[in-house]
Amino acid sequence: MAGTACFMIVSRNDIPIYEAEVGSALKKEDAAQQHQFILHAALDIVQDLAWTTSAMFLKAIDRFNDLVVSVYVTAGHTRLMLLHDSRNDDGIKSFFQEVHELYIKILLNPLYLPGSRITSSHFDTKVRALARKYL
Amino acid sequence: MEPDVSVETSCMIRIAVLPIGPIPPSHFRDYASTLARHHKIELSTISSFYTEHQKSPFSNQPWDSGSIRFKFMVGGSAASPWEDFQSNRKILAVIGICHCPSSPDLESVIEQFSNACKSYSSSLVQRCFAFCPGDSQLEDNSRKEGNLVLFPPADRQTQEFHLHTMMQDVAASLLMEFEKWVLRPDSGGTILKTPLDSQASLSSEEVIKAKKRRLGRAQKTIGDYCLLAGSPVDANAHYSTALELARLTGDYFWYAGALEGSVCALLVDRMGQKDPVLEDEVKYRYNSVILHYRKSFIQDNAQRVSPLSFELEATLKLARFLCRRELAKDVVELLTAAADGAKSLIDASDRLILYVEVARLFGTLGYHRKAAFFSRQVAQLYLQQENRLATISALQVLAMTTKAYRVQSRASIARSSLPNEIVSTHVDGGKTHHHSIVSHFESHWSTLQMVVLREILVSAVCSGDPLAAWSAAARLLRSYSPLITPPGQNNLASELANSADRLPSGTRCADPASPFIRLHSFPLYPSQMDIIKRNPAREDWWAGSGPSGPFIYTPFSKGEPNHSSKHELIWVANPCGFDLMVYSIYLSVHSGNFDSFPISVNLPTNSSKVITLSGIPTKMGPVTIPGCMVHCFGVITEHLFKDVDNLLLGAAQGLVLSDPFRCCGSAKLKNVSVPNISVVPSLPLLVSHVVGGDEAVILYEGEIRDVWISLANAGTVPVEQAHISLSGKNQESVLSVPYETLKSALPLKPSAEVTIPVTLKAWQLGPLVNSGEPPTDGSVVPPGRRLVVPLNICVLQGLSFVKARLLSMEIPAHIGENPPKLVNVENGSSEVTVFDSSESKTDRLVKIDPYRGSWGLRFLELELSNPTDVVFEINVSVKLEKSRNEDNSSVDCDAAEFGYPKTRIDRDNTARVLIPLEHFKLPVLDSSFFVKHTQSGTPGRSSSFSEKNAKAELNASIKNLISKIKVRWQSGRNSSGELNIKDAIQAALQTSVMDVLLPDPLTFGFKLAESSTGRAKLSSPKESVNQVQSPSSKGSVLAHDMTSMEVLVRNNTKEMIRMSLSITCRDVAGENCIEGKKATVLWSGVLSGVTVEVPPLEEIKHSFSLYFLVPGEYTLLAAAVIDDANDILRARARSSSSDEPIFCRGPPFHVRVNGTA
Repeated sequence: MAGTACFMIVSRNDIPIYEAEVGSALKKEDAAQQHQFILHAALDIVQDLAWTTSAMFLKAIDRFNDLVVSVYVTAGHTRLMLLHDSRNDDGIKSFFQEVHELYIKILLNPLYLPGSRITSSHFDTKVRALARKYL
Repeated sequence: MEPDVSVETSCMIRIAVLPIGPIPPSHFRDYASTLARHHKIELSTISSFYTEHQKSPFSNQPWDSGSIRFKFMVGGSAASPWEDFQSNRKILAVIGICHCPSSPDLESVIEQFSNACKSYSSSLVQRCFAFCPGDSQLEDNSRKEGNLVLFPPADRQTQEFHLHTMMQDVAASLLMEFEKWVLRPDSGGTILKTPLDSQASLSSEEVIKAKKRRLGRAQKTIGDYCLLAGSPVDANAHYSTALELARLTGDYFWYAGALEGSVCALLVDRMGQKDPVLEDEVKYRYNSVILHYRKSFIQDNAQRVSPLSFELEATLKLARFLCRRELAKDVVELLTAAADGAKSLIDASDRLILYVEVARLFGTLGYHRKAAFFSRQVAQLYLQQENRLATISALQVLAMTTKAYRVQSRASIARSSLPNEIVSTHVDGGKTHHHSIVSHFESHWSTLQMVVLREILVSAVCSGDPLAAWSAAARLLRSYSPLITPPGQNNLASELANSADRLPSGTRCADPASPFIRLHSFPLYPSQMDIIKRNPAREDWWAGSGPSGPFIYTPFSKGEPNHSSKHELIWVANPCGFDLMVYSIYLSVHSGNFDSFPISVNLPTNSSKVITLSGIPTKMGPVTIPGCMVHCFGVITEHLFKDVDNLLLGAAQGLVLSDPFRCCGSAKLKNVSVPNISVVPSLPLLVSHVVGGDEAVILYEGEIRDVWISLANAGTVPVEQAHISLSGKNQESVLSVPYETLKSALPLKPSAEVTIPVTLKAWQLGPLVNSGEPPTDGSVVPPGRRLVVPLNICVLQGLSFVKARLLSMEIPAHIGENPPKLVNVENGSSEVTVFDSSESKTDRLVKIDPYRGSWGLRFLELELSNPTDVVFEINVSVKLEKSRNEDNSSVDCDAAEFGYPKTRIDRDNTARVLIPLEHFKLPVLDSSFFVKHTQSGTPGRSSSFSEKNAKAELNASIKNLISKIKVRWQSGRNSSGELNIKDAIQAALQTSVMDVLLPDPLTFGFKLAESSTGRAKLSSPKESVNQVQSPSSKGSVLAHDMTSMEVLVRNNTKEMIRMSLSITCRDVAGENCIEGKKATVLWSGVLSGVTVEVPPLEEIKHSFSLYFLVPGEYTLLAAAVIDDANDILRARARSSSSDEPIFCRGPPFHVRVNGTA
């Protein structure tokens, strides 16, 4: 499992709809904020990059200091963003793919308004389990 | 590292611009900016200043197309240790700027300037520009020559021209200096060192190495000068040599430098060209530059100095060169690499510059979030410096990030273009305009936003900018209070208070803090609603339904603030965990024609209140109320309703953190929008009241009463025009409106009053109605005002009608001496003489003339009941038409009403009223009546019939008859009215209309024969009068006397009638006293079976004589059997079979026989 990792789902409107600190490192509030800042800034790069490839997994698209941002863009332009300090592309790719499936299940919920915050605790548990498994 | 580097930096000559002597900063900035416009001097323009002393080393100088560039270092800069490495880092010229009016002594200026130049040893040219010299200074200077250049006062254009000329001179001087330097014999042998070269121990090997390298470095430096001199071709040649030498000697650092210079030379040479080949070339070479800079990294002196900054600078230069949208990927890679280098930089200021440059380049690329991220890094570096200037810089940098993080101050939004406003998001059902709403709030990056705002707050507090601190705290508190713990909220509140303490009172801030304010409702006053837009084209402009068009509000009187002020209910909420004291809150009006009344509110923790705000309009024009001004936490802010509406909209969709009003336990309320309000000039104000109380007027059914409405002008302008119109139900019950009274009262001066009577008639009792409103319109200028005076009328049940019957009555007539007056029956239009003139009409109507009997008399009996608890008096009158009598016999039969004595009906009683209907019979029995037999008959009087329209006339006549009967009632002193019983009468008449109206075919009458003498001699003429009217024939009949009488038979039809006439006489007991054994009357002449023929519409007389043996009362009766009756007669007699004899009988006549004394 990676030392630092922050996972975030950003809707097509650039609103974060889910966020989770999934790293094993000690959580500090400052760091969490910094992670969000980095992910927020990386959106600029994703928005251009997403149109240059047909692949959903964009790999590491941005970095700041030791932290790398990997992004997975769904067809609906929802972005799954992971900030991490390890280089484990395969694991990250599998993680993204499985989270994407979970996200699709959330979308299938008729009570879920696309673009709104994901509040399902089940989803949260599953994502954290996947993070432990792949990262 | 240096900020603002680019590939072209290498070809710019640095000139320090220094202020000399005291000079106002604004002037210095002005002069410096004027100077900065001359940063590029064409080589072609400096030839006049250029003198070729020796053969120029710049053999390939492009005199026609090239140029010399300057980079002005305003305020100068410290000498760099890398000057030898890159000549463009040297300050090669110094320009002093002097403002003559503030430095009168030019000597000292020159001295100060030369002192200032001493610190720039590398400078080759010095000039001191003195602006705005006085006349004395100009004269003074005429003797001196040197570095001082005076710019005589002139207009801006001339001055710029002068300055340009001087800069050309400077450029030419520099060019000559460069030539000199290049041609210097020792130029090739100068020791050029950089901090990279180890200085401490120069071992022999090093010295040898250095000697080898010297040549290459010298070539590179010459190349630099060529570049500065604007000769890229020469520069390139030298750079090529330098590259070769540096490569051979392994002098990577200088190799990279020379390569950088060559790229610059390439770009200058190909100025303006941007072909992909060139771009690739630049990219390729610069990558090589970066690589070689990296190679030159020497481990042993890494602690002291590192070429890293050159590597990063080169990276930034390349990034700036490529910085275009299409190449974003390359640029991002370069910038990311550059940012990575930051942590290896030793100097903190280098890191600062790096981040600044990275942020700038990202910003140029359009990556605002990236730019904001690095700006924030810059701000953090500034904050680490912990001095006030740095925190101010941090604050400024953070302020730039607010847009990307969407936590802008509203002031900055207002300065830039306003963001697209949310319009009609409701209409489209939310989802489609999702994004626009979201972009307005974007609260989901709330963590970041709060961090940024906190940093702004901290830096603002540290840098002593209370307004910025207040604004940041306000934004935090307003937008993120749900995410902040109550202690945190309290801290913010105290932060707000502390900041406000340091602000002057009355400071305004664009960002509102607490409380949240929304429009609750907008109550209107009735007087405001009644204003109508006046349409000059329409006469009855006031008749429109309700106030049309935009709502118009009128201030009419300052003296009455209750009316003229406009109220809005405002809902304030304080969702925070502290008590909020709002010092004052009032309506914010941008149109400037409205005085708002401030009020203060105290909002406890988590509470909301509805308050009323009001104000007085001061000027004409539209009033817009976008929100409220709130003075809270020591600062005045404007709270817009729109913002809160948007917020609530977002909250409804789950996009915003929370609904502040719902938090405070308020119920949901639909959106209220401020109506358009416009202020119109003063209008008159009519105030009305119904005299005698404004409550409902209580009327009995049919009651007629005057209602007095008092209209007073309560405004400040006179009412010049007024109209009254009726609206509502039961309009017909308003009998009269005194328009003239109102007109005559105009113009109604302020505070004047007019009272107008309106006559009302209560309608039939239905459901209790209150209506019947005559609205009064007062108006002056285009907008008019409508005043509605509601008349509440309560109608109580009054007299009620029970039934109506037609009664006939037979009262025998007395036989008189004189023949009854006749009507001229010959012509069809039989004018019937009604009454004799000798008696008063009322008498006649009431009393029955004994000589007339009941002939033709009918009574209409009306039964009325009084269910009320008051006494009614009934007054029945029959209105008679003026009879157009040609005879003088009926004298004054002018239209008159004949009143009957009043009938009193007590409460809960019923009473009957008899209405005699007299002489309503028609004179002629005509077949036309039977054609439409079922219809009612014709009234009896004065009608001429044409057979064609007989029916219509019949109808009209019966109506006419009915309308003549009026039943008026009176109760108490002031209640009076009329019963509406037309229908009842008609129903009563309907059944017996034939009998009432149609004449019998024959009429019989008796009279004493004229021949009889004064003494009553019983004569027996028998001819009849149609119209009995013989009050004057009072001759009496004596017993034992032969009395001559006549029976008069009149034919009322248009046919000849043949008949057999019989006359009988009865005594009091009803016994036939002519025949039989006990006959008491003798007679002469024929009394029975007299066959007579009566011509149409004529009458015949039949004479006979009676001899009464016994005095007493006798009754004479005439009867006839009509032979060969025609259809009309049959129909009149209602006989069914054709062979049935038609029998006609006259009314009985009384004969009073007196004894013979």
